[in-house]
Amino acid sequence: MPAVPRRRRKQFYVRRKVCRFCVDSKLLINYKDTTTLRQFITERGKIIPRRISGNCARHQRHLTRAIKQARLLALMPYVPSPPPS
Amino acid sequence: MRRYETVWVVNGDLPDEEVKATIDKFTKIITAQGGTMVGVEEWGRRKLAYKIEGTFRGYYVLADFAGQPPAVKELERNFRIDDRVIRYLTIKKSDQVDLAALEAEKAAKAQEAAARQKAEAARAAEAAAAAAAAEAAAANAPAAAPPEAQSTTAPATEEAPAEPAVEPGKEA
Repeated sequence: MPAVPRRRRKQFYVRRKVCRFCVDSKLLINYKDTTTLRQFITERGKIIPRRISGNCARHQRHLTRAIKQARLLALMPYVPSPPPS
Repeated sequence: MRRYETVWVVNGDLPDEEVKATIDKFTKIITAQGGTMVGVEEWGRRKLAYKIEGTFRGYYVLADFAGQPPAVKELERNFRIDDRVIRYLTIKKSDQVDLAALEAEKAAKAQEAAARQKAEAARAAEAAAAAAAAEAAAANAPAAAPPEAQSTTAPATEEAPAEPAVEPGKEA
């Protein structure tokens, strides 16, 4: 399906999503860089799917690996602990 | 020779000597296995994202080195034996290593570390000087001006230089 919306009764505009890592070659995927990795997980600590984030397959693959490595080292949570109330 | 990068996490509740002992121990293992150390980075004590072995604190150490695959095997075997290490992760960075380039990188890193140490020492000295100056100002205050105005300015000058001194460790 093309990303351009067809004319329908309800129109929604699909903004073309681009892989942020392809656009910005300076943005590297590294398990040590948790500030970047955190942008690709949900509040629940889940990895955001490609469908939503718009990453390309290759970068998504590298990203998930980096996130999992960071989790192993406890740099990032598997499941975030609830905020102290 | 392959280029590797290993991060290990030491239980953060242990005293500093124990942490330093692990760094010594594991770098020795690498060199004993015919590896070449390029550099050791200490990230310092950090809060863990989840509890490991009953603690939320960990001391992170990163070792950058070149070596043969059996060296990594031996290193990881020792990580598993050592109770002080709660997590470890080895990443292969490249399959081939140019030894000459490695030496150059090593020298550059050592130089950088020395420069950083120097800068830190200078900053510490500056902070100490500022603190001393603030103290002197506070001591002179009662004679020169109303003590209230002086006491509010003195802590501010003390704090400002102290803060950047903490940061380099975190960045690394």
